[in-house]
Amino acid sequence: MFYVRYLRNELLRRRTRTLVTLLGLGVGVALVIVLASLSSGLDNAQKKTLNPLGDIGTDLTVTLQPQQDQGGGFAFGGGGGASRDLIAANQSVLTDLSKLGKPGQHFSHDFFLPGSQLTFQQTAASTIAKLANVAQVTTGLTLLAEHQQGIVPKIVAKLKTGGQTFRILRNIPRPTAAQFAQMQACFAKLRAQNGGGARNGGGRSGGSGAGGGFFGGGGPGRGAFAKCLPASLRRLRTQFTTPRQTLQQVLNPPQTNITTTAYTIGGVDQTHPTMGVVTNAQVTKGRFLSPAGGREALISTAYAAKEKLKVGSALHLNGTTFKVVGLVEPPLGGQSADVYLPLRRLQTLASEQGLANVILVRAAKSSSVGAVEREIGRALPQASVASSKQVAAKISGSLVDVSKLSHDLGLLLSIVAAAAAFLLAALLAVSSVGKRVRELGTLKALGWTQRMVVRQVAGESVVQGVLGGLFGIVLGVAIAVVVDAFGPSLTASAATGGGLSLPGLAAETTRTATNTVSLNAPIGGTATAIGFGLALLGGLIAGAAGALRAARLRPADALRQVE
Amino acid sequence: MPLYVLEGVSKFFQRGPTTVRALDGVELEIEPGEFVALEGPSGSGKTTLLQLLGALDRPSSGRVLFEGSDLAAMSDGALAELRSRSFGFVFQQFNLIPTLTAVENIEAKLAPVAGRDPGLRTRALALLDEVGLLARADHLPAHLSGGEQQRVAIARALSVEPRVVLADEPTGNLDTQTGADVVDLLAGLAAEHGATVIVATHDAELAGRAPRRLGMRDGRLATPLSV
Repeated sequence: MFYVRYLRNELLRRRTRTLVTLLGLGVGVALVIVLASLSSGLDNAQKKTLNPLGDIGTDLTVTLQPQQDQGGGFAFGGGGGASRDLIAANQSVLTDLSKLGKPGQHFSHDFFLPGSQLTFQQTAASTIAKLANVAQVTTGLTLLAEHQQGIVPKIVAKLKTGGQTFRILRNIPRPTAAQFAQMQACFAKLRAQNGGGARNGGGRSGGSGAGGGFFGGGGPGRGAFAKCLPASLRRLRTQFTTPRQTLQQVLNPPQTNITTTAYTIGGVDQTHPTMGVVTNAQVTKGRFLSPAGGREALISTAYAAKEKLKVGSALHLNGTTFKVVGLVEPPLGGQSADVYLPLRRLQTLASEQGLANVILVRAAKSSSVGAVEREIGRALPQASVASSKQVAAKISGSLVDVSKLSHDLGLLLSIVAAAAAFLLAALLAVSSVGKRVRELGTLKALGWTQRMVVRQVAGESVVQGVLGGLFGIVLGVAIAVVVDAFGPSLTASAATGGGLSLPGLAAETTRTATNTVSLNAPIGGTATAIGFGLALLGGLIAGAAGALRAARLRPADALRQVE
Repeated sequence: MPLYVLEGVSKFFQRGPTTVRALDGVELEIEPGEFVALEGPSGSGKTTLLQLLGALDRPSSGRVLFEGSDLAAMSDGALAELRSRSFGFVFQQFNLIPTLTAVENIEAKLAPVAGRDPGLRTRALALLDEVGLLARADHLPAHLSGGEQQRVAIARALSVEPRVVLADEPTGNLDTQTGADVVDLLAGLAAEHGATVIVATHDAELAGRAPRRLGMRDGRLATPLSV
């Protein structure tokens, strides 16, 4: 048919115009498809990551977190302590290395620290279970674990002192003439004072003159004699024993090769596989913990990759071996952990029997979540109750940033891209008609009706639009496939173990859990339909614009153009 | 009955604040089968008169009667129908569609009349043969010489067996020899097809070949130069 051949010729023989139009429309449509696909991919990632409680079958979490000015005394059965106790609990196990064994021995030990979440009696859960509109309650225990290994350091030195007896004997040297004269004067003075000169006359004789003078006739006595001796001539004779004592001295700093790795560990009530700090819905490989609560463990996929663990691997925790039965992708938001054990097993390992640090609450229906939250607040005033939204609000990272960007700019970008593409197509169509005035006028002079001319111009634009749209769909799908294959990883992070920072509490007691999501761009029917619809719309807009311009042409323009 | 009767036909154009009187009270009758030359300098109103005769435009005042029907009173659709079946145009710039081959340009004229007639191409090729360009049927206008393009335009104009062939400076872009050949071809084929030919030209030699010459000055018909 002539009109079709004419249309084809117009598109093929005006290649530059056609290609520019196709490219413009194609890029616009592709952009819309890619944005729609990315948005869909982000939605999936967000639903998976940013709905932390929904994934674990929970509406509310109840924790007990210390206040910085809190003096002590908590509800929930008083199983825990105040912030001071919490700090002490974290520090004692971190610093007391003397319990690891004898100095020089190799050791491997896991310390379980409360982190920044206070523990409380599990029985508190029954208080919540009795509240109206509460469908189910379970408890969990999330602890910070410090795995240490190395050689036990020589921390304390024992020193025994005392018990020795000392004797000192020293001979007197011969006095000098001056000292002798001084002594004589001293004795004379003493004799005069005591009136005992006659007694001295019959004193001992013999020996040296000086000697007879000192000791003959009894003299003034031993005390007076001692007084007249110069200090250098006195004879020292003494004996003493030092007291016995043992000194202990802490060596600072202890020299050791200890290495420490931190991880988080969660206790799961394995009898509630659909509700807990991790549920069977998060198992990506292997299986959930068996109801019997044996020596089994679940590990997060991230931790498994980091530690090169897999289903079937063994975990040695302070002398107990746990078998990894499954890998999980736990939701973020305060209670996620790297390793999960049956709750009682963890309580025993951590010496936290009967204690938990989170209560998970499911409301009877979604509309009653708010009421349950208020009820819990009244029943347990010290409790910190968090809804899924509040927990999600604490999640940060590139996924959240991109999510916000997607929500804020995604739609706008799509509209701008589509509008720009359509505007380009429309402008090119109008420009094309403008350049073809003589040609279109000639057609009218040849007897073409206005309807025929408009149909021809609009047909060209519609075909261009459809081809551009199809090109855009192909381009968009190709980009989406590339994004799928090489898509960037987005992360979402949230503090775990309570995430509260207290003065005096070591920084390492707060751990950040990070989920990595590979960004994909699923091409769904909707995205393709949007692309095709936009292609048609783009073609129609361009066609309408071109046709409008063509319809205004008067046949006389054909001749007037050559005047 | 005359083919055309023009009664007090005037045509004004508004160009900015100025009103241009392109035609001013033209009175004219043209009989079927005539070969008429409209002769005059550029701007004398030849092209405007040709547009009114070819139903490409409507007069500002007066009447243009074609076979007794007032063209101004006809709808756009009826005028398009009239142009497709009764008129053939030959332009100074040839006005071939640049993206269509020689034969397709002729089909462009036949298409509104023939519709989906499968014989469209055969007829177009036959016309190309008549103007001696059968071998160039699949060439684009850009690949044809000026003379060849004008011959394609003549074949296109005559393809629907029109009542009237209107030619506006058909030799204006051709050298003398080619122009003469084109005029001979146009006159010969028109006579052969029984078509009336009205040629607007400022070429005295071309006008001299027409049995009837009408001089134009300032939008008015001057004294007939020859009969």
